[in-house]
Amino acid sequence: MKIWMPDRSEKTAVTPATQGKIDMQKVNFNLHTTIVDSIRELPAPTEVHVPVLGCILQIGKGKKVQRGTRVAERPTTHGGDKHAPGAGKVNGINYTHVSITLDGEEESVDPVELGSMEPGKGLLRALRGLGIDTGSLAPAETLIINGLNPEPGITAAEQLLRDEQPTLEAGLALASRIITPKRTVLALAQGYETTLSGCEAVPVKPVYPNSLAPLVAKTVTGRENPEGTVVLSVMDLYSLGQVAGTGLPVRDTVVTVNSGLNYKVLIGTPLSAILANAGIDVEQGDRVILDGPMRGRAVYSLDDGVNRDTYGVTVVRHDAFPAITDEPCINCGECVLNCPARVMPHLISKYAEFNLFENTEAYGIGACFECGLCAYHCVARRPLLQYIRLAKKELAASKSS
Amino acid sequence: MTPQVIKPYSQVTTRLIVSPPSHWRSGRTIKGMMQDHLIALLPAVLMAMASFGFEAFRVLALAGATAVVVEALCLKLMNRDITVDNYSALFTGIAFAFLLPPTAPWWLVVIGSSVAIILGRIVFGGLGANPLCAPLVAWAVCRLSWPAPMDMDLNLLHTTLNYPLTQLKYFGTSALYQFDYSDLLLGNQIGGLGTSQVIALLAGGVYLLVRKQVRWHIPAAFIGSVFVTAWIFHLSDPTLYAAPLFHVLAGGVVFGAFFLAADPACSPVGRVPMLLFGAIAGIMVVIIRVYGVYPDGVPFAILLANLLSPLLDRVRPKPFGAK
Repeated sequence: MKIWMPDRSEKTAVTPATQGKIDMQKVNFNLHTTIVDSIRELPAPTEVHVPVLGCILQIGKGKKVQRGTRVAERPTTHGGDKHAPGAGKVNGINYTHVSITLDGEEESVDPVELGSMEPGKGLLRALRGLGIDTGSLAPAETLIINGLNPEPGITAAEQLLRDEQPTLEAGLALASRIITPKRTVLALAQGYETTLSGCEAVPVKPVYPNSLAPLVAKTVTGRENPEGTVVLSVMDLYSLGQVAGTGLPVRDTVVTVNSGLNYKVLIGTPLSAILANAGIDVEQGDRVILDGPMRGRAVYSLDDGVNRDTYGVTVVRHDAFPAITDEPCINCGECVLNCPARVMPHLISKYAEFNLFENTEAYGIGACFECGLCAYHCVARRPLLQYIRLAKKELAASKSS
Repeated sequence: MTPQVIKPYSQVTTRLIVSPPSHWRSGRTIKGMMQDHLIALLPAVLMAMASFGFEAFRVLALAGATAVVVEALCLKLMNRDITVDNYSALFTGIAFAFLLPPTAPWWLVVIGSSVAIILGRIVFGGLGANPLCAPLVAWAVCRLSWPAPMDMDLNLLHTTLNYPLTQLKYFGTSALYQFDYSDLLLGNQIGGLGTSQVIALLAGGVYLLVRKQVRWHIPAAFIGSVFVTAWIFHLSDPTLYAAPLFHVLAGGVVFGAFFLAADPACSPVGRVPMLLFGAIAGIMVVIIRVYGVYPDGVPFAILLANLLSPLLDRVRPKPFGAK
């Protein structure tokens, strides 16, 4: 059992602790703002980096591609295949991204006729082939469309509801054909009035973490983890709508850039292009995050491309918050008192820190929906969500072996 | 052929920090929490120096300095990062000093402060790992080992004031006429260096609540249950048992409520467990004062309740979705 102790003498990391100055960023968990602008179209980049992590590559370097050519196949039912968003030539492959230089041509692969397919395994396989995540598309009694913005600072969901109704309706029709629900509900922020055909509107208080799927299901149905319920986000409907309308693979996504405007970007657009277009400078030590500030993934390089289900690009400045530490837990209880899943993150993190993963099951680790509020409130600034994810991964690995 | 010039990665790209979510943090730090606790103690420190003079300052300074030096030494011996700059050792030393009589001899202060850090915290693993409140561990060790220097009345014979709880224990309720509630609030009594400055401690406690460094559950439950238990005794026989407000204002109840019982490491984390913890400790304070040998039951009551914390933490709802 190895316990890692950091060497405090090495001050190479650019952190607020070493800089000694913190310009605390204002934090607001409100999820609803009135949108006045429409979706901006980002000019097509010269090069896209399609993320292919976890997929089997289907293309080689130097090959010409059309819009919709499959570049990687996803071997499981979670997540769909990856395709080229435009015509061009593959100019680089590594295990995370396929780089394609776009030449602006309009050639595309032949569309797939989805309207004639009967709901069943064949249709699901065809959807996966078009880039859709079919993991939750199964017959169910209740279909809940999560119309809340997923994280603070993100407005993509409500922007789509405002400006892309036809695509969403097409996606909803396709989803309903597969799921055949008896009841369709649109969960909306309180005070926001909009409709989708065939949906009853249920208001939800627009404060994070109420936008997470398990909590939306609880608000709508009144039960926790209800059976026979599928929750789809508005972004999922948007992808389904693109596929249903054109028969071609998913091509673009709508992202909120740094709590500002929403842009429609091609899948694989590099973050450097998005940030340059929005006029955001990234400095040494900043965090550039795909999705939102509470659940998003920080990237290593600005060359990373957006994924099909990315809904935001967030930049957190290097001096915005005090740095994460390796301090032991002081048992203040802030994580427990703020956890929406009623889990005990402090004890889970203590066990995970010392590799005693079996002991974490007693404290509700299976119920955690990874909202990130424990790490937000931690006074000792421990990376609590990382410990929880580590424990989940280790428990799954030990169970499968 | 000239060799290819390879620039270091850091010169060609901007280095980004990669860390797990959440990428927003509340801005709270251990150092900030301890700073707020020290600010909350400041009115009581000033009042103590006004009441007891330079002696109080001597004891406070010695206790605080000893605690910091001992913790730094112990952390160095254990090869851990020296984190005394988060003021937690200083707070422990000063909280311990608050429990002492103002004329405590230097060796008592040094030994007590060292015991608070070593036995109260270091041997269990450092800040956050102690199952018992560190200043109270030191108080208990000193009280049982050297009762005479720790005795309030014996050490402050040069004043005309009295220690309310010994008056109650040895002379009964009839001796309580000498104390007004305003006397108890303003510190016209002898007692611990800091525990007798009740109004200043209340101000500090309110400051901590407003700054959200302490949740209201433990102080409210503690003070509330001291009041209710004392009231039950008082109702049964007013001549034998003191009024409930007297019990709340005398001794270390207010100090214990905000600064000792609410110590994060040794108190439970859930809402209902915190209320139960405060209630149990409060009931035991009055029982020890009525039936026990010691005039003030607060330290022992809180220590006993600390032992119950892990059990009380099991009173919690099932996780989300669990049947």
